[in-house]
Amino acid sequence: MSEFLSQAIIGPLQVIGQRVLSVLPNVLAMGMILLGGLGIAWLSGNFAERLLRVIGIDHLSDRLGVNAALLRGGIKTDPSRIIGRALYWTVLLLATIAALGALNLAPINQFEMSLLAYVPHFVTATVIILAGYFLSNFTSQAVLIAAVNAGLPPARLIAATARWGILLLAGAMALEQLGIAQHIVVVGFGIAWGGIVLAAAIAFGLGGKDLAKDFLERRVAGRPRAEASDDLRHW
Amino acid sequence: MGSHNRNGVARTMSTDRTPLTQETEAQLRAIGPTEILVGIPSYNNAQTVGHVVQAVSAGLAKYFPDRRAVLVNSDGGSTDETRAIVANTAIDPNHLFISDQQSVLHRIITPYHGIPGKGSAFRTIFEIARRLSAKACAVVDADLRSITPEWIELLLRPLLDEGYDYVAPYYLRHKYDGTITNSLAYPLTRALYGQRIRQPIGGEFGFSGSLATHYLDQHVWESEVARFGIDIWMTTEAIVSGARVCQSFLGAKIHNPKDPAADLSAMLTQVVGALFASMEQHEKLWTRQEGSHPVPLFGFRYEVGVEPVHVNLERMVAYFQQGLTDLEPIWRQILSPDTLDQLLLLKKRSGNDCRIPDDLWVKAVYDAAAAYHKRVMPRDHLLKALTPLYLGRTASFVLATQGLTSAEAEQTIEVLCQTFEHLKPYLIKRWTGLGPSSPPDVLVHRATADAGGTYE
Repeated sequence: MSEFLSQAIIGPLQVIGQRVLSVLPNVLAMGMILLGGLGIAWLSGNFAERLLRVIGIDHLSDRLGVNAALLRGGIKTDPSRIIGRALYWTVLLLATIAALGALNLAPINQFEMSLLAYVPHFVTATVIILAGYFLSNFTSQAVLIAAVNAGLPPARLIAATARWGILLLAGAMALEQLGIAQHIVVVGFGIAWGGIVLAAAIAFGLGGKDLAKDFLERRVAGRPRAEASDDLRHW
Repeated sequence: MGSHNRNGVARTMSTDRTPLTQETEAQLRAIGPTEILVGIPSYNNAQTVGHVVQAVSAGLAKYFPDRRAVLVNSDGGSTDETRAIVANTAIDPNHLFISDQQSVLHRIITPYHGIPGKGSAFRTIFEIARRLSAKACAVVDADLRSITPEWIELLLRPLLDEGYDYVAPYYLRHKYDGTITNSLAYPLTRALYGQRIRQPIGGEFGFSGSLATHYLDQHVWESEVARFGIDIWMTTEAIVSGARVCQSFLGAKIHNPKDPAADLSAMLTQVVGALFASMEQHEKLWTRQEGSHPVPLFGFRYEVGVEPVHVNLERMVAYFQQGLTDLEPIWRQILSPDTLDQLLLLKKRSGNDCRIPDDLWVKAVYDAAAAYHKRVMPRDHLLKALTPLYLGRTASFVLATQGLTSAEAEQTIEVLCQTFEHLKPYLIKRWTGLGPSSPPDVLVHRATADAGGTYE
């Protein structure tokens, strides 16, 4: 009876106990990493926020129009706080990944690897979107002013086209980086851009038909310049 | 004050030299020290430059026969005959009653380096003046049609005999000629620096050799100053460096038209940019300056007939109206809420009804200066966004002075200048960032804005 007990119950219990004992250090390590990560995340987040406040990043971003953009997006927090919080969550995420890694379990390890491999793409996509946003703002403002100064009635339309063109390009590039609907993005964009360029080419071609003809005649047939300009004058 | 500061000007030594071509260097060595230098910046001015060179040669021969003089043509790569004409134009001394031409007039024809523009051309002229140790220098535009030999005397004599460092021109112009000067450059420099120089961006100037060296030593040659900003910059820099400043009456200024509509925006950007940049640099000086005083005027004053100027009023108002609609979000960042509100009252008003009164214009200019200082947006955008506003003001000026004589129009400008001086505390308040004007102001100015035009 006692043999049965030791075999059927104590044996498995011992095995479980041994397993728990072997995993326990890992779990402990995970807890420590999590705790440490939490601490570091809090410290670095707060430190970054204060440092940015001291060097006046809020003022700078106000000038660059970032605050206004954030407000438009419904975010009322100032940039230094946002960056601080972002840093906090990034560090915490990394700590969590490291902590899970400490468990040393195959499926978790795999998931972790793929997650880490995705991070550079995510960072690149974020940078592309941000750069695209600022560039589109700058360009549309410049285009708007230039168009108004040139007295073009559809000035705002031209500026909006410039803005959305750049934003679309940046968005497509970011999606491509993230690997989301890659083919559709590339093909769709290719068709759209190709269409625009073709339309512009046709418009220019029709508008400047005679100039182009004249240019080609001079180039290909080697007709002298003086005669060509004479032709232009008659026209 | 004069002598002390003039020493200050003379003391500054330059460290980096403006590059000159090998031939020019050789010519400089051959010519040696010179007393007088006259510079002509040019770019494709074959039509007019011959006349300018004749006037300069005759002026030097007639009024300064015993002084060593050099004529410098700083050319921006003309593709026409400009340089050949400068080299070969001669005068007939007998017809001009020039009896004894003692010294030969040396001519230096050189390209210039740097950003293409009038400022870079001047820089090369300044450098040559320094190398030749010229005492008195003058610059005249190559597109002038009304220059006479007397201009050379008027620009140089105050420097050589009267102890002045800087001679600004004083022209009689049509009331609609030189509107950037009348509505902005003259009133603003006068209010800022307290000197009533009527043509601060005239184009023709006289300056001492030490002032030329001072100009060279400033690190501005990559900015608007290298282009059209040079004229206003030379004037403000002369004032703030403590140079003794005077004006010379030159009569009428008639020059070849420069296709004004095509590059108005660029021209305005360069002039206003140079003005605002000077304000930043000399903040301590202008914030303390109160009121203004007249500047001595040399030369014999007489009346001249001036070329009529045709104005397309509807077009200017249309530009302004489009600015009101399309640039409102941008103006909102530049102008104070009060100023913008008052401008927006002019929306949809046409022709005679669309007038920007003096005080509103002055506040808009002061708001823009403060916005430039605080970098509320890329500075180039800010300056360019002012073009429709300026056109609106120009249209208002034309409407206000219709049917007036030149003298009466001049009185209108004088009133504007006084408004600029009177509202200077507003500028200082905006510049130092103590906030926009208080709300009660709005009502008062709305009343004046409404009174500006008649209803249909």
